[in-house]
Amino acid sequence: MNRMRISWLALYVCVYLLFLYAPVLLLPIFSFNDSSIVAFPLSGFTLNWFALLWQTETLHSAVRNSIMIAAITAIVSTMLGLCAARAASRYAFRMKRGIMGLIMVPLVLPEIVVGVSLLVVILQFGFELSLWSIVLGHVLICTPFSVVVLSTAFNNLDRSLEEAAIDLGETRWSTFRLISLPLIMPGVIASLLIAFTISLDEFIIAFFLAGTEVTLPVYIWSLLRFPARLPSVLALGTILLAASLILLVSAEFIRRRGLRRTGATDRGGLF
Amino acid sequence: MNEMMIKLTSVTKSFGTVTALDGVTADIQAGEFFSLLGPSGCGKTTLLRTIAGFEEPDSGSIFIDGQPMRGVEANRRPTNMVFQSYAIFPHMSVAQNVGFGLRRRRLRPDELQRQIDDALRMVSLEGFGERAAHTLSGGQRQRVALARALIMRPKVLLLDEPLSALDKKLREQMQLELRQLQRAVGITFILVTHDQEEALTMSDRIAIMFEGQIAQLSTPQDLYMRPKSRQVADFIGSMNFLRAEILRRQADRIEVRIEGLGKVELAGDQASHNADDQPAAGVRPELLTILFDETDRAAREVEGEITGRSYFGDMTYYEARLDGASNAVTISMRNTSGRPVLDAGARIRVGWEADSIILL
Repeated sequence: MNRMRISWLALYVCVYLLFLYAPVLLLPIFSFNDSSIVAFPLSGFTLNWFALLWQTETLHSAVRNSIMIAAITAIVSTMLGLCAARAASRYAFRMKRGIMGLIMVPLVLPEIVVGVSLLVVILQFGFELSLWSIVLGHVLICTPFSVVVLSTAFNNLDRSLEEAAIDLGETRWSTFRLISLPLIMPGVIASLLIAFTISLDEFIIAFFLAGTEVTLPVYIWSLLRFPARLPSVLALGTILLAASLILLVSAEFIRRRGLRRTGATDRGGLF
Repeated sequence: MNEMMIKLTSVTKSFGTVTALDGVTADIQAGEFFSLLGPSGCGKTTLLRTIAGFEEPDSGSIFIDGQPMRGVEANRRPTNMVFQSYAIFPHMSVAQNVGFGLRRRRLRPDELQRQIDDALRMVSLEGFGERAAHTLSGGQRQRVALARALIMRPKVLLLDEPLSALDKKLREQMQLELRQLQRAVGITFILVTHDQEEALTMSDRIAIMFEGQIAQLSTPQDLYMRPKSRQVADFIGSMNFLRAEILRRQADRIEVRIEGLGKVELAGDQASHNADDQPAAGVRPELLTILFDETDRAAREVEGEITGRSYFGDMTYYEARLDGASNAVTISMRNTSGRPVLDAGARIRVGWEADSIILL
């Protein structure tokens, strides 16, 4: 009876994991396949698709744009998130719940609504669409995530640590710099990474607000119209997969090292 | 010694609809070990935080060493605090924690090091400077918190339930050490505690607080022997209450009849009851004596019956009913060799003295 239940559970886990990761594993397999048709059986090994990527100038600029937008978005939304999360966790003020709720709304707002409305506003004000308009849209949707992550960090921070610093003669600002910021740093890094990743693969807003220059997801989407280029899209996907794995692992490494240094108990985290 | 350090005048503070401090007035002397004692929610921590500058009173005034404190932020006040959680900065070493408050004084590195070493020696943590703060035990954290506050040479050191997180043995040891430390540095200490034993052993004076007000402010002996209200009598130690009736009241003598004890004449300072209330006679359990031997004699004797007992090793606490009394009393007796432990139902003779009675 017991054995039976375990084996059903094991089967469920296998199917679940297969469903989740098998399509992703196809990406690297076909990106090294020597055929422009994405189908089994595999016809041979090649690095041509990667070489093709290396030579495509428009791809390079799309990657540069995406990374720049993601980096700026990550920094701006984390800074906004820091202010909002500190205010929410440390002060009582009028309409606090309402204000915090409004900050969180973009979390559930359809991106197409955000994209279209920002497009209308930007054009009405006579601004030109550029990479900056994409940054604007991305900050809007990334800030709620930063607020959530940083609020948790602030709430886990013992308030008397900040009071102790003030008691010992520091100002509010130097207390933030010397005590609060170092102790919530894991949260800050998490917020930066989350905002960076969301911005990096965001398509709808980037599609609506892009001017002459495009981001990586928009560029990939445009490639899909040419079936012959499909394997190079897979090669690009493989590179992105590897890059995000490296990012994830190093983020976790930094987080654990931070925990060890302050002797905090491990609560949550990714793995 | 009798120089005034802190003057509190009608300090009032509310949080929303809750009144945390309701017109607190008190003078605290320089060099005094002063305790704020009370049950949780009585406002003692709020009062401490108001003195520290973390809360601004709604009305009333606070003077520290003659200076008005209204509008002066916590980082500009001549006070330092030992927090209940100790608030040791976990990302710093012990030395960085202890020297944190000196950062702004821009000392030479060797002078800074000397002061940190002195402070660590004062709390018996020599050689701990390079340890990471998060590796310390509870008792060590508390010493670091003390050193970190005392290195600032504050005029007043505020301690918010500093011993509540320690186990019993360590707590008793730290009580002694804190008291010695306070004598050595001569700084005014204000201790917040809900532990009456802690307050009694450590303090020069104690303010007992209930519901945002100081119920009584006095020395430990006076609070214990001459509580001014039943609430205070009940909170500090335990107190037996017996119904009493005032027979005759003269200038400084009061004649009362006490249920179970009989008629007695009390001095004026033994009575502090409100004239409107039904008076009660209070007597501490250790001031009633069971006369075990036929030959034992006491100035005043009454009879009664044991109704129950709790054995504590060094002491036995008897529940007894004195003949003619409607309430039971507790009598505590030290267990000496050869002294029997009585069972329920045993008849006893109880000795007592007139000056151990207070009328509330």
